[in-house]
Amino acid sequence: MRTDPDGGTRHQPQAQEPELRVNPIACDARGLCIELLPELISADPWGYPIIRPGPVPLQLQQLARRAVAACPTLALMLISPPG
Amino acid sequence: MHGYGPASAGRPAAPEPGELRLIVRDQPLSLAEHIDQYGPLPAARLGPKALIEDVESSGLTGRGGGAFPAGRKMRAVAEAGTRDTAKGSAAKGSVIVANGSESEPASSKDSVLLSRAPHLVLDGIAACASAVGATRAYLCAGHGDPAQVHFLTEAVAERSRAALDKVRVEVVTVARGYLSGQENALISALNGNAPLPTFVPPRPAERGAHRRPTLVLNVETLAHIALIARFGSHWFAAAGTPGAPGSALVTVTGAVERPGVREIPLGSALSDVLQHCGVSQPAQAVLTGGYFGTWLPLPAALAVPVSHEGMRAAGAALGPGVLAVLPEAACGLAETARIASFLAAESAGQCGPCRNGLPALADALNWIAFGRPGPDIIGRVQQLADLVTGRGACHLPDGAAGLVRSALSVFAADLQAHLRAGPCARAGGPPVLPVPARGSR
Amino acid sequence: MTSGGGIGAIVITSSTPLWYATRATGLVAMVLLTASMALGLLSSVRFQRPAWPGFVTLGLHRNLSLLALGFTAVHVLTTVLDGFVSIPLQDAFIPFISSYRPIWVGLGAIALDLMLALIITSLLRTRIGLRGWRAVHWTAYLCWPVAVLHGLGTGTDTPVRWVLVLTGCCVLAVTALTIWRLALAWPDRPVASTAGVVLIALTLIAGGAWLRAGPLGPHWSARSGTRTTPPAGVARPHRTSP
Repeated sequence: MRTDPDGGTRHQPQAQEPELRVNPIACDARGLCIELLPELISADPWGYPIIRPGPVPLQLQQLARRAVAACPTLALMLISPPG
Repeated sequence: MHGYGPASAGRPAAPEPGELRLIVRDQPLSLAEHIDQYGPLPAARLGPKALIEDVESSGLTGRGGGAFPAGRKMRAVAEAGTRDTAKGSAAKGSVIVANGSESEPASSKDSVLLSRAPHLVLDGIAACASAVGATRAYLCAGHGDPAQVHFLTEAVAERSRAALDKVRVEVVTVARGYLSGQENALISALNGNAPLPTFVPPRPAERGAHRRPTLVLNVETLAHIALIARFGSHWFAAAGTPGAPGSALVTVTGAVERPGVREIPLGSALSDVLQHCGVSQPAQAVLTGGYFGTWLPLPAALAVPVSHEGMRAAGAALGPGVLAVLPEAACGLAETARIASFLAAESAGQCGPCRNGLPALADALNWIAFGRPGPDIIGRVQQLADLVTGRGACHLPDGAAGLVRSALSVFAADLQAHLRAGPCARAGGPPVLPVPARGSR
Repeated sequence: MTSGGGIGAIVITSSTPLWYATRATGLVAMVLLTASMALGLLSSVRFQRPAWPGFVTLGLHRNLSLLALGFTAVHVLTTVLDGFVSIPLQDAFIPFISSYRPIWVGLGAIALDLMLALIITSLLRTRIGLRGWRAVHWTAYLCWPVAVLHGLGTGTDTPVRWVLVLTGCCVLAVTALTIWRLALAWPDRPVASTAGVVLIALTLIAGGAWLRAGPLGPHWSARSGTRTTPPAGVARPHRTSP
């Protein structure tokens, strides 16, 4: 674990850490992912999700899975990069 | 790989580095003339390994705009086909799609190539078909021109009478629309669905047309492959530069005396290319790559090499080889606003950020070009450009954002003048770049 | 308590709590199913307020559906265990084979089957994909009215005023939300939405007419196929319906 200059800690990048991705064609701006995971997903002016780039931190992975299951159009995905 | 040496009986010499390779004259080459010019397609070298290795070592990149290494694409499809064999589902084979749709309005190289040297393209299809084990082949012609479709169908028929190709090529018309020629949109149309981009997994190399591994290549790329199959990878790389081997077709339009399609060795300086076309009036900028490309200022960009890596280093992209010259007498912001409106109208409408963001971006640009906006419009344009980048299923929003960002940078002086005093006189002039009327879909 | 056979007496006295449980769980299941239906409709019209985010609607919809299935399971169990009328377990799943009020119990079987399909496909949604899930989920529009009709036709409490009022409120809620859903689904096709509303109104009128002529009319018990022969020598306990 390394310490950021602003005092946070950061894991060493692991090959297995998954990333959130949205299928923009399936996405219908229902907004559930934004409600359920505001730490990583915010709304653009039209209600569509903007996902913070990078892997999902370990402590948020359970919540991310919940958000993926909650998406009404199954547009949100948790992609594990090839490890 | 191995060179082919000097001409021998029945086999023409390979074109010299300075010679034209793809389009040797202004009239179409018939099948007999084509074989006279280039010799027959050698069957012996067309095993999967040989041709793919040749194309890989030649460094040929896709000429449709993506500039993806062609050999790597071929290998991916060949391997996917092999995996299918292992799974026992190889009975149907893979699919070749020759993309001649050329939906970029400023580009005409593909239609010119297809009309002058159709058999080079068809040779390329045949060569790739045997290299990747294809059982179906499509030649996608764009522009909805029935005469061209008829011409190409005739060329295919001529070859089948001569029993040249193992796989019969189906000539297909591509729907109108800027996105119809996009790789996934093309495959979607061939599968009987709407000609619109799809979300990427699965990749076409894995599962594309008819759920088979599909190799989609631009028609110019296929023409180059047809020549590599004859003359080898060393010959191919004899033109161009080590980082950008081979020759390429470019379409030069705008304020030049002799606009049109030219074959150039990659890496030629932009000044050379433009001189060839004759620049009669002072030019302020050049739009590279197409309508989702980027502006480069003139005369500063004259030294930029015309190649993918050269353009990339200058912050632009060669794309499908469009070079549109903007004269001093025109307004770059007005031209960009028109193009942005066109791109917004061409959105597939499938992805929210693009469907909402591109019209907003175009509106803002139109304000800048033709209206009296406040100074905060620049921040709004930047914000919109950032909002749409990377958030669609295809690269249309990225291209529009890139175009707009480059316009704000290259035409910065005009931008300040517009904000201070309203639209310049040049903005009211006639359009330079050909933007099709709305409702092309 | 009569002087009939001991076992017969036990069967009759012990059936009454089971019978009450059947009626109670049936009513509760109907209310829960209505609430689930209402929340599903609310989600499809994108109802969202700062104090009521979208995930609340869908989360409640999911949980109330599961609860409704739970109460329905108990409802089925008490019905099967209730020895006064013979309704074996398969009658709850295979429609119209029951000897007791075959049509109306059969509707219950249909509603239960649909509920199971809806819930199982929803639990496996990520595996079966959106299109398959959606195709099955459309049957919710069939499941709910069938369940209500089952209650009205089989239920021995139908003529009771508060039961009628409760059922009426459920029907009102789902009808209003369905009309809202229709209006939003086709904003630019007024003919289609009006036709939909008219269809709903006609269905309600037909339903009301059936209610008057059927369960609220005379001798419904006999007309709906209630077998009323008790074991020999045993008097029937008093029940509220004819």
